[in-house]
Amino acid sequence: MTIPSHPQTPSLSRRRFLQASATAASGLVLSGCGWTLAEVRPTTLSRGNKDEIYIYTWESYVDSQLIETFKTQTGIQVTPSLFSSNEEMLAAFQAGKSANFSVIYPSDYTVGEMIEKRLLSKLDHSRISGLENLMPQFQDSAYDRNNEHSIPISWGTTGLIYNSEALNPAPDDWEYLWQNQQKLMRKMTLLDDKREVMGVTLKTLGYSYNSTNLQEIQHAYEKLVTLKPAVTTFTTSAWIDRLLAGDLLLAMVYSADAVRVINENPDRKFKYVIPKSGSSLWSDTMVIPKSSPNPDAAYAWINFMLQPAIAADITQRLFFATPNQAAYDQLPTPLRNDRSLFPSEDVINACERIIPLRPEILELYDQYWTKLTSG
Amino acid sequence: MSSPSPPLSTESDFPKASPRWLQPLVLLSPAGIWLALLLVIPTLLILELSLVPGIRPGQVVNPSGLENYTRIFQPDYFPVLTRSLSFAIATTLICLLLGFPVAYWIALIVPKRWRNLVVLGFVLPLWTSSLLRSYAWITILRPTGVMNSLLGTVGLPPLDILNREPAVLIGMTYSLLPYMVLILYAALEKLDRSLLEAAADLGATPAQAFWNVTVPQTLTGIAAGSLLVFISCMGDFINPEVLGGASSMTVARLVYNQFLGATQNWGFGSALSMILILIVSIAIALWLKYGDRSSAGGV
Repeated sequence: MTIPSHPQTPSLSRRRFLQASATAASGLVLSGCGWTLAEVRPTTLSRGNKDEIYIYTWESYVDSQLIETFKTQTGIQVTPSLFSSNEEMLAAFQAGKSANFSVIYPSDYTVGEMIEKRLLSKLDHSRISGLENLMPQFQDSAYDRNNEHSIPISWGTTGLIYNSEALNPAPDDWEYLWQNQQKLMRKMTLLDDKREVMGVTLKTLGYSYNSTNLQEIQHAYEKLVTLKPAVTTFTTSAWIDRLLAGDLLLAMVYSADAVRVINENPDRKFKYVIPKSGSSLWSDTMVIPKSSPNPDAAYAWINFMLQPAIAADITQRLFFATPNQAAYDQLPTPLRNDRSLFPSEDVINACERIIPLRPEILELYDQYWTKLTSG
Repeated sequence: MSSPSPPLSTESDFPKASPRWLQPLVLLSPAGIWLALLLVIPTLLILELSLVPGIRPGQVVNPSGLENYTRIFQPDYFPVLTRSLSFAIATTLICLLLGFPVAYWIALIVPKRWRNLVVLGFVLPLWTSSLLRSYAWITILRPTGVMNSLLGTVGLPPLDILNREPAVLIGMTYSLLPYMVLILYAALEKLDRSLLEAAADLGATPAQAFWNVTVPQTLTGIAAGSLLVFISCMGDFINPEVLGGASSMTVARLVYNQFLGATQNWGFGSALSMILILIVSIAIALWLKYGDRSSAGGV
């Protein structure tokens, strides 16, 4: 009998929940007659120790070896906090966690949202070295022109990881989930991510991942309801142990997690597929919030992560695709040719990026998502 | 206070302007300020937020209606409320049924010198993190887990209960049973045994003695234990989240999702919180009115 050595979903820990709830109260800032909910302001309270930096990042993006190397190079101690979805990160950030973090790792569409909310400081590119190493398609993006506020750190796709011994024929498109519902009954999980799950269903129906059409969104919700009895749970990472144990046959996942699981289990039983009708293409970035208590250390961290040797090293150890050409060139050939990690041009072309939605459309997604998970 | 200072002489030292009822305020004010700052004001803020439809962080709070409340009673969300209530009621009943015999055994049958050790054994699980205990149940309950390998060895068919209601009930019961046992134990320990002997002398069967003598005397403990378990279940977030699945949303999970989860709607979350507070308040009010009679009148 094994007890998980680390909770699979750190967002659940009671301590973090309490911390976040407590800080939620401190985020209520009075302003004039009405007050603004959870307004984020630059903090003057914690100017921070200059040998210390707190970063807010995805699970599995930082490991102790990386922290050690950074400390040896710069003398700065890094303390990471983890999140498992952009929404969770943004909510906790706005609820008062903003005071701690000097570097945050939002994904593309969330960068756009954070820029719009004026939460991010404009990056001083003269203090960053190695930007020229980024692949051309990562030099500029629709969510953040010329990387003015964010530096891409990794990219990937959303797809399906499956047990290739149990599933024959293998899944090749999203529609597979609906067609093989009986076989997959309570043996599959979907991401706990409303934009991805709704997006996939929209894509299955032939619509855009980012549909803003009310009928299309409702149509997608209705299709998802028919799949729900077969879904064990909505989770970003709790599928790992159970896929390995054989409790699950298939899981909707981010490519970075899938590639890591596949490479750590060399019996090649598990495979990752990007469904052929297309999926989402995402990139995660590093940003410095305006409220950062230690911007100097934040620049040091970004420069560190941009070093080709470091970027190549984490790609090999943590398995997320690097946008850094110089780092890519240093990778061993098998990894460079891994089509799950670095998909081919036409697969990428079939994928869409998730873009920020207007608040009233986003609220519709929220309402359908809450309805779906409440039923 | 054990110091022998005569109370009358100290009282005359106070200036006459300070009335007698003001004196306790000095000692009460720390707790009072604590309660006001950390309970009353936040609750009022939640009440205010619950009146703003669809508010997200960064927006101006401008109470304008009851939409968040009417949304709760829509057919989409009402099942969440009833599911939470059924989890809480079922867990309370299971804890009572499982806990009473254990508490009875500890209080009346276990030899006195062993009693503390047995009580200690029962509260020992509480020393570990509740999150860890929930995760341990995943290992036991999952389809290829410990429970099904045991069932397999004795030739029984496997059970698929993880990420379903039974798993949540098991997790909640396991978390809260020790509290129920402790409270019932405290009530049963005070049981007047001579009354049981008298009942037996007068010809009552053990069952009659139990229902007519033991149960009425421990009613306060039963009510207090049930209340504690019920309230804790209503607010339990960890067990439904970790052991529940795609179809076991509860009010506490839904509240979490509105604030820090996938959807951000602090207004709806606040309205749900107010409903939760209301349900718990009703339970406490019922207990104050009917549950505590024996201790108020009897002692």
